[in-house]
Amino acid sequence: MRSSVRCVDTTQLLKGVLDLAVLAVLREEDGYGYDILRRLREAGLEEVGDASVYGTLRRLFAAGLLTTYVVPSESGPHRKYYSLNAAGRDQLTRSGKLWRSFATTMDALLDDRGMAA
Amino acid sequence: MTVTGQEITAYVERVRAALADLPPQTRDELTEDLSEHLAEVAAEADGSLVDRLGEPEAYAAELRAAAGATGPASARSLDQRAATLLAGARARLRATDRRIGPVLGYASASEYLRLLRPAWWVLRGYLAAMLITVVTTGGSFGLLPRLGGSTLAALLLLAVCVVASVWLGRRTPQLSRWPRLAVGAGTGVLVVFALAGFVSLDDEQRNWTGGGHEAIAVQQPHPPDFYDSQGRPLLNPPRLFDQDGNPIWLGHPACDEVLYRSDGQPVRPYPYCPEQTPFRSAPQGSAPGAPAADPTPSGTPTASASPDPSGPVPPPTESVPASPGPTS
Repeated sequence: MRSSVRCVDTTQLLKGVLDLAVLAVLREEDGYGYDILRRLREAGLEEVGDASVYGTLRRLFAAGLLTTYVVPSESGPHRKYYSLNAAGRDQLTRSGKLWRSFATTMDALLDDRGMAA
Repeated sequence: MTVTGQEITAYVERVRAALADLPPQTRDELTEDLSEHLAEVAAEADGSLVDRLGEPEAYAAELRAAAGATGPASARSLDQRAATLLAGARARLRATDRRIGPVLGYASASEYLRLLRPAWWVLRGYLAAMLITVVTTGGSFGLLPRLGGSTLAALLLLAVCVVASVWLGRRTPQLSRWPRLAVGAGTGVLVVFALAGFVSLDDEQRNWTGGGHEAIAVQQPHPPDFYDSQGRPLLNPPRLFDQDGNPIWLGHPACDEVLYRSDGQPVRPYPYCPEQTPFRSAPQGSAPGAPAADPTPSGTPTASASPDPSGPVPPPTESVPASPGPTS
């Protein structure tokens, strides 16, 4: 029988915050799919999957938080760039606040019980 | 570049095949620019697509999860959209409920309506009794139920229906699904019946004073009297018709009853009922007070010259004090 208790792993945590992470990396600069994936990995989210990022971009686009435009490329294939629109920035602000308060709560909870960071 | 366009196309096809259970539109949206994306991936580094991204089926599963139905605004099935619409409607209803509440002096309108529920149960019992009346007797919707013409039985029926409705009202929340649906359907029938019944009752009530021969009889101060050439009232008065050929009824049709106008004057059934002539008590042939052909009646000239059809016929003796007498 499988236990429902799991050890926290990054993949699990990522599921909850990948939207926020994608919105965050798009805030500084527009990007195309693979570029966004690379930025996320460079920021420390090495375990993020290609399909997860691609799927998340499609979902955020369908939700009206992103706009896209195509940039022709001479060397390789045309690139579809994603950029935050007003709704996306709004969502980023709200989700960001929520995450910070959640993280603070978790930090305080662990600190109180003597867990080193 | 080690990845060919052919490999990309094959990879995309396998991903699409793994998503074949999704609605076509959803699948197209998900994989719309997948080949461009894969070309980008391929351009950045060496190795086959499968080496770097895993099997297409695993990729499809991850894509489905990331973009899938759990997301807030992914491409969704019709069921989910309907559910979202329903939830939205419910939320709006709740908001309206809370907005109206303070106007009524309660936290929400539904709280106030819940207080009225027992009253509705009583009304529902009454309506059920009325429905039974209409169905069993074929009668029309009235104010009180009727059962075979007996008032006692009708009141008993009313009491039973009201008690049953209240009892049912208190039990309904504990009922299982189908009985509860049945109660709901029955209540719906009663509501429709009640609306139809009240509307027809209201119509009847309004039309009663608006037309019909009874109304004419009541409104007329007095129907005219009809006499023959000898001044005798006609026992078979002429029938009058309006320009459309409809008969005009004068006098009220209830020959045996006495109706009174609002000013207390009796309404005469004559000429509707010829036998109810007001001159019945008079001796045959010569009605005192009627315009008489005979120039020598027993009454005074004034009495015969100006007959008063509205008042009771003055007895002949009434004229006596008016004539010069030995007392003066």
